[in-house]
Amino acid sequence: MKPPPAHAFVNQLIALTLILLIFSGTLGLGAVWVRQEISGTANRSHALEGKIANVERRLDEVSAEVAAALNPDALLRQNQLMLIGLESPREIQVRRVSVSPELRLAAKRNLEIFSVAGPAPRPGDNPYSFRVVTASLH
Amino acid sequence: MSKGFASNRLTLLAVGIFACFMGVAVRLVFLHVIDRDQLLRFVDKARRQITVEHARRGTIVDTHGNLLATSRSEITVAVDPWALEEYLALDANLPRRARKQAEELAKRAQLAALLGLPAAAVEQAFQPALRSVKLENDKHDGKPDGRTKDRWVKLREGVDEPTYDRIEALGIRGLTHERIYRRVYPAGSLAAHLIGYLNKEGTSVTGAEHRFDLYLKGQDGWIESEKDGARRELAQFRSREVAVQDGNDVVLTIDAVVQHIIEDELKTIAAKYNPHFATIIASDPMTGAILGLANYPSFDLNNFNKAAPEALKNAATEYVIEPGSTFKIVAAGAALNEGLVTPATSFDCGLTTITYKGRELKLPKEDHPFGQLTVAEIVSHSSNRGAAQLAMLMGEEKYYEYVRRYGFGQRTELGLGVEEFGLLEPPKRWDGLTITRMPMGHAVAATPLQIHCAMSAIADGGTLLRPHLIKEIRDNDGKVIRSFPPEKRTQVLKPSTAALLAQLLHGVVGPGGTADGFDIPGFEIAGKTGTAQKIIDGKYSNSRYVASFVGFFPASRPEVVLTVIVDDAQLPAGKMASGRNVAAPAFHHIAEQLIQYLEIQPVTPAARGLLAMQGGVR
Repeated sequence: MKPPPAHAFVNQLIALTLILLIFSGTLGLGAVWVRQEISGTANRSHALEGKIANVERRLDEVSAEVAAALNPDALLRQNQLMLIGLESPREIQVRRVSVSPELRLAAKRNLEIFSVAGPAPRPGDNPYSFRVVTASLH
Repeated sequence: MSKGFASNRLTLLAVGIFACFMGVAVRLVFLHVIDRDQLLRFVDKARRQITVEHARRGTIVDTHGNLLATSRSEITVAVDPWALEEYLALDANLPRRARKQAEELAKRAQLAALLGLPAAAVEQAFQPALRSVKLENDKHDGKPDGRTKDRWVKLREGVDEPTYDRIEALGIRGLTHERIYRRVYPAGSLAAHLIGYLNKEGTSVTGAEHRFDLYLKGQDGWIESEKDGARRELAQFRSREVAVQDGNDVVLTIDAVVQHIIEDELKTIAAKYNPHFATIIASDPMTGAILGLANYPSFDLNNFNKAAPEALKNAATEYVIEPGSTFKIVAAGAALNEGLVTPATSFDCGLTTITYKGRELKLPKEDHPFGQLTVAEIVSHSSNRGAAQLAMLMGEEKYYEYVRRYGFGQRTELGLGVEEFGLLEPPKRWDGLTITRMPMGHAVAATPLQIHCAMSAIADGGTLLRPHLIKEIRDNDGKVIRSFPPEKRTQVLKPSTAALLAQLLHGVVGPGGTADGFDIPGFEIAGKTGTAQKIIDGKYSNSRYVASFVGFFPASRPEVVLTVIVDDAQLPAGKMASGRNVAAPAFHHIAEQLIQYLEIQPVTPAARGLLAMQGGVR
């Protein structure tokens, strides 16, 4: 059997080396791309963190301003400046209601509605027939 | 032939590639082995950075979530004067350089306006200058002459975020900044002694800021990473990261509106009577929770450094006073609790001397001449001699035991900084007259808070609770991580005795009582006036007093305990600065407002309430 020529082996070796180089180059480029993506993502995430921190700072700022504007002293000053004239009621002015005011007012209103004086029934009218009395009649 | 040529070319290519690899390998060996230490040192110095992330201090809010203390970012604006010069030096085009310089000059004029500084001061800051440094530190500009470029010239501190946004939009070269968190108190002086403050270094000094610092301060985080040439962090090279933990929020028991009501009353007292100091305390008797506590003089938390030292003191815990007649609750409560007397038991309060343990003792003077008084009248009329006789019924040891049970001579441990013990000597150190003087509130000294707590014990069915200011701790998500339940200190009186004493104290605002006319119909004000002579130069003064009114309401269903103490009120000549004249009106005015604000329902419905029940029909 005839042995293969030496240059054929070298050619194969070179071809394999080239393939290996292409493969490793691809891997390397892939790694670089991945690293680049990682960097990009990390930097974007870092920028977002910064934005969130900034928003939180603004929120704190606004909360502090709102609290300062809503403190009782500030509100009283506004009341005076704007001549609103709001004043806390004195005990003598307070009426305490022990029953539900809604129910009480509803009962009062119903009483008014159903006690409306309508036209007197004519002779022959059925005294038991129902009449619809609405609030508008009042 | 052609095959041999191809083989030669491939061999040549392979050798070339191999040589390149070898070159890379040699360089790698140099970089990673031979010069490794030197390069690492350089990289570490030039690129590695550890950034500390400061934790944001938690907020302090009142019981309804109103913000009392928070942290706000503030910016210190500074300038690197050399940056502009170095930037301009790079441009060889002289007309363009001059144009750039003119543009920067115009921007600096706007900067001065935004910072509220004179334009000349800003221009001065932008002038490049050298500063002295130690020779060993002078490595930056290549000339070891002990002088280096000054790259940080402060323009202004405390610039707010919106202003800084406008400054940043100008795009001024060389402008730099540092952001810090500063504590701000949106309500200004509201609850100043309770909230406390942080000093300029950010260290908590007093009040809730100091007491709950552990919860509030949080934990700083840090990031180990690398930076680029512009000193920006390269996030992808973060190697270690410890997350920052912001501080927790502290919820206090105080109510901003209640606090405002009592502070408003203090302002009125201060304007009317110009006292040495005054204190008003409001609390919930069932839990010991402080609803409001204010002192005069006070200070603005945002300008604490401008306050007088006296104003910084929390008078409620740092000052001791003789309680005066408010102390009679001890003798009356003790005698009733021991079953030695009933409200109807009578004593001769016209006596000037009395025989006690074989000795004749002189009884204290009365403000008004009394004859036979029942225990109920001793309380409502505030008889000094009656109180002395009640204490003498028990004897020194038993009486002293009750004084201690009420909490006198011991710290309340509210925990807001300095707190005095008060002054209470044991019976073995009493002189012969102490048993006659202490029941009327002399020969003993207490802080306003101790007096308040003693009255609170009666309102709470005889149980002495520890006053507390903190309701709960919340994390950043608003979740409650710790709450603080009421803490019982001791049982002072039996509940039945406490209820009985509450009814006797209601008599104080009734006909013949020392605070007659200060009741609020339907709300059963129960309280005790106190008018203690001040000790001036070692003697009891006949013109200077500590006026007080301590009480609660409604007597049969206590919801608020209120203490008003005014030290050395200045009244027009001929008028005595008594508890009735000075403190009781303030108590009454505050109680009226609290009843409405806290929606306290009357115990006995007042007749006028019926009008509303008719829906407005007359």
